[in-house]
Amino acid sequence: MFKVQDLQFKYPKNKENTIKGISFEIKEGEIFGLLGPSGVGKSTTQKVLIKLLDQYSGEVTYKEQNLKSYGKDFYQEVGVGFEMPVHFSKLTAEENLTFFKKLYKSNADTDELLMRVGLYEDRNKQVSEFSKGMKGRLNFVRALLNNPKMLFLDEPTNGLDPKNARIIKDMIKEFKGNGGTVLLTTHLMNDVDELCDRVAFMVDGKISEIDTPKNLKLKHGQKQVEIEYLENTGNNETKKAFFDLEELGMNEQFLELIRTKEIVTIHSKETNLDDIFIKVTGVEKNE
Amino acid sequence: MNNILVLFTGELERMKKYHVLGASLVVSLIWIGVLYFTEISDVSNIFPLLLYIDATSMSMLMIGVTMFFEKQEGTIKTLLVSPISKAEYIVAKALANIVSNIVTLFVLYLYAWFFKEIDINLIGIFLAIVIVAFFHSLIGFMLTYYSKDFTDLLMGMMKYAFVMMVPVILETFGLISNNFIQKLLYAVPTKASMLLLQASAGGIEAWEIYLSIAYLVIGSTLLYVIVSRKFDEFAAKESGV
Ligand SMILES: Nc1ncnc2c1ncn2[C@@H]1O[C@H](COP(=O)(O)OP(=O)(O)OP(=O)(O)O)[C@@H](O)[C@H]1O
Ligand SMILES: [Mg+2]
Repeated sequence: MFKVQDLQFKYPKNKENTIKGISFEIKEGEIFGLLGPSGVGKSTTQKVLIKLLDQYSGEVTYKEQNLKSYGKDFYQEVGVGFEMPVHFSKLTAEENLTFFKKLYKSNADTDELLMRVGLYEDRNKQVSEFSKGMKGRLNFVRALLNNPKMLFLDEPTNGLDPKNARIIKDMIKEFKGNGGTVLLTTHLMNDVDELCDRVAFMVDGKISEIDTPKNLKLKHGQKQVEIEYLENTGNNETKKAFFDLEELGMNEQFLELIRTKEIVTIHSKETNLDDIFIKVTGVEKNE
Repeated sequence: MNNILVLFTGELERMKKYHVLGASLVVSLIWIGVLYFTEISDVSNIFPLLLYIDATSMSMLMIGVTMFFEKQEGTIKTLLVSPISKAEYIVAKALANIVSNIVTLFVLYLYAWFFKEIDINLIGIFLAIVIVAFFHSLIGFMLTYYSKDFTDLLMGMMKYAFVMMVPVILETFGLISNNFIQKLLYAVPTKASMLLLQASAGGIEAWEIYLSIAYLVIGSTLLYVIVSRKFDEFAAKESGV
């Protein structure tokens, strides 16, 4: 769908490049995750792909054609779900959707979408009376109202309760199931694990790693056993020890420990994407 | 073009919902108050004056206010990723603005017609308002591009009013008699606006009318090109995803 080659971008006001030469591909029909700490240029990259910034160097193609060669019709098949609320607050949900629908050739059944995300009852309410989560769900419906082929989503489950987050995630999977392509920006590793076919980690304007979530876990992950035990049975001071899960039965230290010490807890640990995030980006997640 | 129509009607709907049209009607009531309290019964000469103030300042203000709402609510972002061109966006907004100015014209004209005496060329003043309001809508775009916030926008409008609008009003009232300054005023768009509006009541030289039309048409064209160019910069700034 998209092919990005050596993309570099500098905001006019800044001295340094914000995007410092990145290359990646978003394949048709996949959910591609763009991850990274705050301020590394994820949104900037997204803005380039949705043609909001055009003073970049490097090459970006959409469906094998230079992105710059597309006119406004590009947006006929693109849906953008913003993180911030982007609706006319003095209009109702319905009025907002009706207005935007008229700008597109193809229209989705927004009543059905509203029902799915649980907003149908509230469709005639002014958006200013919506809660944060309701606005987020309305953003998602808006992104789908033109039956897009390519969907850009920025933190789509942000601020949603687990039930609604579930609904949105299921709808994203369905969108993909119907042949849609998605670029997903998020900080929530659970969402990435569940939804993304491939992820790119961005660090300081560059991409440090692109792979499937599974491969990343294989590559960076270790399977370990964490044991918490009492050093002396006399006091309550506990200590922790870690052992590789592999060939645990032949690990003399491990065997010695469980034979001689009083065990408080014992857990097997798999590196999750959160740990990989920190390892790959070198940054503690701050959001 | 279909998109322009959608954007234009959407703009009017929102001007109503956000009470921008209401505010504009309140301003019309102020002008009616002025007409009511004038001693003269034939208001043909002060009528263009009121519309001069309205078509210039309200145009700038309304573009500023509606775009300010779009910035504040982030809807400008949504519009920027919709299949509309910036030309459609700019023109639709200016058209909605012109409509609101025309409404004011008719409200005032009806009042004057029923309760006072008025003898002006209605088609002439109609066309004058279209072009004056279009020009000043574009000024409104420029002011909005360069304003950080709403206060900034108001300050920009104040400056425009003091430098461009007030001297022309003073001259119209005969308060500026300096020959050099009078000549200098032909260089400002507000003078051309005033002349065109006054022309509907008569007493304006033909060459002044032609000069004013040429000024505003060429001025609007140039200004449109600049507004359109600068739109990309504005869009990049407002498009935070
Ligand atoms: N309009 C702008 N002008 C100048 N600099 C900008 C602009 N927008 C963003 N930046 C800078 O570019 C860098 C990348 O910003 P970007 O919004 O792409 O980050 P991000 O990865 O999306 O972060 P987050 O996770 O917080 O959304 C930041 O240092 C930011 O300050
Ligand atoms: Mg961002």
